[in-house]
Amino acid sequence: MAEYDAGGSVPALRTEHLGRRYGKVWGLRDCTLEVPAGAVAALVGPNGAGKTTLLEMIIGLLEPTEGQVSVFGETSRADTAATLARVGYVAQDHPLYRDFSVADMFHLGRAMNPSWDQQLATARVDALDIPLQRKVRRLSGGQQAQVSLTMALAKRAPLLVLDEPVSSLDPIARLEFMRDVMAAAADTGADSSLTFLISSHVVSELERFCDWLIVLANGHVQLAGPADDLLAAHRLLTVPRATPDAELPGTVIHRDDSDRHSTALVRTDPVQPAVRGHAGWQADPVSFEQLVMCYLQRPPTAATTGNPAPAAARPGPTGKEVTR
Amino acid sequence: MIWVTWRQHRSQAVAGLAVLAGLAVYAILLGTSMRTAFSHDDLAGCLARSQGSACPDAVGAFSNEFGSEVNQAFWAVALIVPGLIGVLAGGSLIARELEFGTWRLAWSQTVPRSRWLAVKLALVTGGLIVLGAAMTAVITWYRAPMDRLTGRLDAHIFDFEGLVLTAYILCAFGFAVLAGLLLRRSIPAMIAAFVPWLAIRLVIEFVFRPHFLAPLTTTCNATLPNQAGGCGYGLGFVPQATGHIGDLVLSANNGVVTYQPADRFWPFQFIEAGIFVALTAAALGATIWLLHRRATWAA
Amino acid sequence: MFQFRLDGSSGVPPYLQLVHQVRQSLLLGYLQEGDRLPTVKDVAAGLVINPNTVVKAYRQLEHEGLASGRPGQGTFITAASSPVPSQAQQDLRASLEEWLRAAEQAGMSDDAVTALIAAARHDMRKERV
Repeated sequence: MAEYDAGGSVPALRTEHLGRRYGKVWGLRDCTLEVPAGAVAALVGPNGAGKTTLLEMIIGLLEPTEGQVSVFGETSRADTAATLARVGYVAQDHPLYRDFSVADMFHLGRAMNPSWDQQLATARVDALDIPLQRKVRRLSGGQQAQVSLTMALAKRAPLLVLDEPVSSLDPIARLEFMRDVMAAAADTGADSSLTFLISSHVVSELERFCDWLIVLANGHVQLAGPADDLLAAHRLLTVPRATPDAELPGTVIHRDDSDRHSTALVRTDPVQPAVRGHAGWQADPVSFEQLVMCYLQRPPTAATTGNPAPAAARPGPTGKEVTR
Repeated sequence: MIWVTWRQHRSQAVAGLAVLAGLAVYAILLGTSMRTAFSHDDLAGCLARSQGSACPDAVGAFSNEFGSEVNQAFWAVALIVPGLIGVLAGGSLIARELEFGTWRLAWSQTVPRSRWLAVKLALVTGGLIVLGAAMTAVITWYRAPMDRLTGRLDAHIFDFEGLVLTAYILCAFGFAVLAGLLLRRSIPAMIAAFVPWLAIRLVIEFVFRPHFLAPLTTTCNATLPNQAGGCGYGLGFVPQATGHIGDLVLSANNGVVTYQPADRFWPFQFIEAGIFVALTAAALGATIWLLHRRATWAA
Repeated sequence: MFQFRLDGSSGVPPYLQLVHQVRQSLLLGYLQEGDRLPTVKDVAAGLVINPNTVVKAYRQLEHEGLASGRPGQGTFITAASSPVPSQAQQDLRASLEEWLRAAEQAGMSDDAVTALIAAARHDMRKERV
């Protein structure tokens, strides 16, 4: 089943203190995150946050300055066949060779990937009514995106990385593309369970697709973990303006102040924050989009939270240990 | 990877074949009429017996008929052709991938980019060597009658026979591939490679080649007058001031003739080809090294 | 085959929407014992949502005893939820009708009634948070 196995098996992806420096500037620093096998993970962040750098290091196109990447437990250097074989990749704007036919592209895939599954590739484009002999430049944008996705899927790599796969597509093409990604993620079987890592800077559409969330801003991982758990662990508090941060339960992620009241996003363990007994306090659940936006707006100096600590045995606000 | 290289350079290969075919047609037409004219007046026998001094009319007629087509015009245009072939083959090899972002596709398949580049370079270089050799063979064949009047050391002829034509193509190719990696755009890379190639080409040809080996000297032997009488030299003179066809006379002052003998054709070919092949190897080596070292391309 | 739908703006998590739709359909008789629910893949592709969401919904239904998964065959409705309301539902229905009559007599329009119900539900949910 496509559902991820949060506890047991080897994670599809693990990065440890990953960093990349360009000259004197660190584009990405101290990125530690995990994506479990079978998950559909979203990597969210503004342009320039380091998303593409992170993805390139995961794929093996770029050598990290520090830290390491392991895919299904295997670590190897960038730009080696072992590394490149593990990840299927659809780059932003899905580049293809424009004067190749679709059949030529598949021939390239077969020539350059020992694990290539030609039958899967031709079956996919048949089902999509894309003629094999047509040149890439005569395909629509949506069809080109589908061919790119087919190339990544036919490589039969267990981890698929899609960099902003739908940002250049019209709404219908967008829907069709994501439909195919969801169908591919749903495919079951010991040898065909896929893990997806999809990057985007459009937050509003991600909620329905992803079950694992990674927020990247200012070159650091701001938030990483299972989407449902993260949503459950945050509350949007409305409190009187004068209330200091220290009085608020959990960690204050983001705060907006108005004349008389403030809205604060706090992170607590799933036990309810104590709003009763505080006059004028109100706690609401936070939406996916609000959660991501607040984390994206954190100042660069804020402490970063990598993967959340295990939910069991974390001290609550009173200092006593609480469990879920 | 072999198929991939072929498919990506297929239209270039076809263009190269078309150039070769066009050249061959021209060569066959001109070559056969030259051979006909050559045998007509028994020029061969005359040249063997007297180095051409016994039949100045026949020599003159032949030169007038074919000289400008085969010697001047050809060289003026053809000087740049090996350079063009080289930069057109090499300028887009890496640059196009960077320009259009397809490097993200090409280098994320299960082939490390060094291997990708090595296979591509090996195959395209091989193709260019075959093309260069074929062009040289065609040109050498069709020029053969005229070569017996002019020898092969003269600049206009030396450039197209032997090894150097192929070496010129390879050098331009190497420069263009490196420029493509550095500049990341095909057309600028082609231009940035062509200009230094041409400059080096001309400098070596006119400054260094006459002195690859120390020139010999002799006195002009007035008992073997040449076409114009006296001790003239150059393309129009049969034989040269040294009295032998094929010598390259550098100067003839006061009866002292400084020259390179005809039998130095092959040693000079090896020297000059060696220079250009070394430049090619340096450029391609730098490309491979740089591609391996610099691990990302933001095109 | 049973068709799910998704309301992106409702604020209710997708998996819960799927669970609700199954419950609703059982009550209304559109789903009966023995019916097979669509595969995870079909729902994920049809609604263009994460398949794990569907898995979660189906697990919840199993937990509530409404459905059960048979390996290799699919997920089947197990609850014999009759379309006839239980006694509790009948009582609630009676008091609801009384309340609606009172609201009508007090001059509340249909829209006002709906808004009042939504506001009360929202406030009750917040208290639970």
